[in-house]
Amino acid sequence: MHDGSGRIAVQNLTKQFGAVTAVQNLSFTVEPGSVTGFLGPNGAGKTTTLRMLLGLVTPTSGAATINGRPYTQLGNPARIVGAVLENEGFHAKRTARNHLRVYAAAIGVPDQRVDELLGLVGLSPAADRPAGGYSLGMRQRLSLATALLGDPQVLVLDEPSNGLDPEGIAWLRGFLQSFAQQGRTVLVSSHLLSEVEQMIDQVVIVSAGMTRYYGPLEQLRASQRSRVLVQPADANALVTALREAGVGEVQPAHDGRVAVTNAGVQQIGDVAAKAGVAVYGMEEEKADLEQLFFQMTSPQYAGGAMPPGQPPQQPPQPPPGPPQQPPGPPPGFQQGPPAGQPQNPYQAPGYQQPGQQGWGGGQ
Amino acid sequence: MGNLIKAEMRKIVTTKSWWGLLIPTVVLALLFALGWGAITNDINDYLGSSDARELGRAAGVEVTTLPVGLLALAHGINIGLLFPLILGILAIAGEYGKKTITTTFLTAPNRVSALTAKMLTYILWGAIYGVVIVGFASLGTVITVDSPGIPDAGYWFGILGAGVLASILATLFGVGLGALWNSTTGATVTSIIWILIVENLLVLVMWGWGGISWLGGVLPNGTLNGIVGAIGAEAFGAAGTAVPDAIDDEAVWLMQFTAGAPGAFSWWASALIFFAWAMLLFGGGWAANQKRDIT
Repeated sequence: MHDGSGRIAVQNLTKQFGAVTAVQNLSFTVEPGSVTGFLGPNGAGKTTTLRMLLGLVTPTSGAATINGRPYTQLGNPARIVGAVLENEGFHAKRTARNHLRVYAAAIGVPDQRVDELLGLVGLSPAADRPAGGYSLGMRQRLSLATALLGDPQVLVLDEPSNGLDPEGIAWLRGFLQSFAQQGRTVLVSSHLLSEVEQMIDQVVIVSAGMTRYYGPLEQLRASQRSRVLVQPADANALVTALREAGVGEVQPAHDGRVAVTNAGVQQIGDVAAKAGVAVYGMEEEKADLEQLFFQMTSPQYAGGAMPPGQPPQQPPQPPPGPPQQPPGPPPGFQQGPPAGQPQNPYQAPGYQQPGQQGWGGGQ
Repeated sequence: MGNLIKAEMRKIVTTKSWWGLLIPTVVLALLFALGWGAITNDINDYLGSSDARELGRAAGVEVTTLPVGLLALAHGINIGLLFPLILGILAIAGEYGKKTITTTFLTAPNRVSALTAKMLTYILWGAIYGVVIVGFASLGTVITVDSPGIPDAGYWFGILGAGVLASILATLFGVGLGALWNSTTGATVTSIIWILIVENLLVLVMWGWGGISWLGGVLPNGTLNGIVGAIGAEAFGAAGTAVPDAIDDEAVWLMQFTAGAPGAFSWWASALIFFAWAMLLFGGGWAANQKRDIT
């Protein structure tokens, strides 16, 4: 049987649909206790990878395992893995409650669980309406409720924010973080970094079916080279001084300013003072994460140098950083709800306040 | 497996297909039994007349006691069997159409168990449809056929058993077809056209031009109809039993055709051959679903 680790491992995974290679030699691991973003532009092979992980698509080569086992060898898989997939099918004429009752029976959980989950995702008032009349956001909630029926250890979500309003996204973010804080595993795909940036700790970036980066988001952030724009009295003098001092990489800008990369404001100021060049202003530019993501996933990037961080295309290993112990969310990430350790996500404060829906409830 | 069967039962009863399909089932089974009952009752009346009796004696057959009700029953049942077949198609092709197959596979230990649960559940539903079909075909028969033409209880129970068996097999045939060809529309339209038109034409043409009389005894529709139809034909001494020398092969075939089972060997041979068809499709669908990518 499976090892109960909650670890997702994708190893040298390749999928070809006829002549089209959807996924090429993809490798990464997802550790429990964190929310991992699975990022890449549309058509990068994210959905195919997730479907291979879930046993819905057969890999051409390589393996994708959860708890050390392929999905179909997990026993009662829905007890271990919950999946929210795009275009999740609901019978248009079947009510949400009946939909959940069907799969509750298949998984072998009591029907009472259906009502719990309807309440959690805020669908109780609409539970007896056919799912065919649901909005996209309601369908996403129903998908999530279905995924959670078996109280799984691992949650896999494909573009879950699609169709959600900002409130729904905020709720989901908090929910997933709290889910991961219990030592469970969350893998969430998106084609927009900004959409998931605030909820993920780890990130796997794929493009054109290949891994571009995987590791902690913090490391990716740190890897970015900041640039300082200096407004000196004498640009040439400053450039010469900086070059002589060997501080950063210097590029004169057209507007008389000097752009310095790989050097701090203080360093530059010291050099300028020493050289007797007056400095009227300095502006620190932090490269945008989104821009970095765009660079990594744009076609021109293919084959280019990798950014610092976990080199891609190597056998998966636990990403660096605080290992083993499920790391808490890094500072600056706790915008979601409560950092406490709720016994289960459904009872987390803010999700199920008495007389209030979990979804869309005040946070 | 119990959980998966429970889930499959809930799937069926939480949508309208199961009773929606029962409506035309009931209507057509009743109408066909009424129609064939009325026609064959007239024939019986004619056969009961002295002229026919004379003719029959001359040919060496006793014609007075034909249980023509069996013909009405067989036709009512055979038309009704279309619907358990369609119900079966919906089992898997319907799930592909609605994309619920994703969740179904995700919540089952593996695809083999998901398909097995479906098979077992649909056997039960095939039986339910079978009982309803035989019931309404019987109703149509007793309304139109006078008592001399009504088969006795022994025959009727035989028909009931054969009808339920045929209905179960038709459902499984549909499940297999829908698993192999995961398009509800494609599989349904094709099988209806095949059953109502193509195969009948093929059998008639091959018989008329090629003198091939056994084709109806091996093709899917012929064998499915043969399960019940052959009992009717058998009662007339025309299917798989020794027939009086006076009735030549062509006459036998025509009598079987009238009973809705041209070329049928016997009810059990028909059942076995149709079972083979159903299992062929089921095996194909099974194999196709093991590796099929759900995208």
